[in-house]
Amino acid sequence: MRLFHHLRAAALALLACAALPASATVDDAHSFAMEAAMPFVEQGFIVREEYWNGEVKSGQKLMIKHQMFKGNEYAFWLGTANDEVAFELKVYDEKGKEITIDGKNDKMFASVRVNPPKTGTYTIVFSLASRKEKGLYWALAYGYR
Amino acid sequence: MKRLPLHLLTVLAISSGLASIPTLCAQAAGSGVQEFDPRAFPGQVVDDVVVPVPSEIFSVLDKLGEPNWQQEIRKIDLPKTGDRTKLALQFGMTVAEGFVAVQAENKESVKDIGRDVIDLATALGLIKSVRPHAQAILDAADKQDWSSIRREFDLTQKTVRDTMEQMKDADLSQCVSMGGWLRGTASVTSVIGKNFSADRAELLNQPMLVEHFIASIGKMSGSVKEHGNVSDIARGLKDILAKMEGAVDGFTKDSVRDIGKTCDSLLDGIKAAK
Repeated sequence: MRLFHHLRAAALALLACAALPASATVDDAHSFAMEAAMPFVEQGFIVREEYWNGEVKSGQKLMIKHQMFKGNEYAFWLGTANDEVAFELKVYDEKGKEITIDGKNDKMFASVRVNPPKTGTYTIVFSLASRKEKGLYWALAYGYR
Repeated sequence: MKRLPLHLLTVLAISSGLASIPTLCAQAAGSGVQEFDPRAFPGQVVDDVVVPVPSEIFSVLDKLGEPNWQQEIRKIDLPKTGDRTKLALQFGMTVAEGFVAVQAENKESVKDIGRDVIDLATALGLIKSVRPHAQAILDAADKQDWSSIRREFDLTQKTVRDTMEQMKDADLSQCVSMGGWLRGTASVTSVIGKNFSADRAELLNQPMLVEHFIASIGKMSGSVKEHGNVSDIARGLKDILAKMEGAVDGFTKDSVRDIGKTCDSLLDGIKAAK
């Protein structure tokens, strides 16, 4: 039974890998996230060099916990290396209330801003959905001012 | 952050297994506002933690007043050592000191720290990847280009951590983060202690980061976990976490001082020859 599950998971992974365009990478995804950041930098946001990235199945929701400080304004930039992707990007406080403001979507990236009402841990939830690709590369970066 | 890439295999295995679990995000009764319950999240949890750089907190402290950052700069006098765990902790601590010097806009301190970064990177065998950033720090210091220096310190730390992970030294990469967090937190407690307010003290509410460091130490190999500095840090972090969790009605002046003392004591251990 366990062998069956391993084989099934491996087969699914191979299928999804085959669906990824060979040229698309997480570095490309990060480049698009940085493109999203450009207008924010002009407004005084400082971009962090560390970021999250990976590969995900189309439509799969991802969750990240992140520390934010009251008094700073934050911006998050989600980029992908794949065309025709629909983004969802939201930030929630400790009580599960959405605190995202000014969400914007473009072809290869999405961005949101957050003014944390308290210093503490926040939850970022996002997904990328594509009709063409089963697996998608993503990168999520942030900045503050 | 390439250190823990999410493999499709894992994602697919988890998602296929969870496909039958209904979304449990609750609707706030009657309000129509959708609320989110992370405990009932049906998707993939990304475990990677991006640790904030000290500047993120310093910028809030600047908005709440005008701290004397010059007073917060500490002269670093590091003994020669071949102990890579200690070197990694010292590296993180030194980069964090760089952020303090940038906040103070102290050109000479930034240059001294830039040279310390070169020495530590050399001792760690990482000078090839660090030198361009260290040189950029020294060049930008001459021009007093503080935003470039801040960016280069952030890049330096990322480069060192990425390189360590490529060399299968993930434990040392965590030590860099911990050294930086301890130095950043020590300076934050020092600034708050000199001009206490509830708003300033709230900046210490970082239990998720402390839990992350404690969990990281728990996963380290025996030789790193049992290193004197690392085991001291594990104990110290548990004390700090208790203080954070106990600050239900906000941090008191005493709890801020205690967190600062714990950080300072751990930093003294990192700076010591043995």
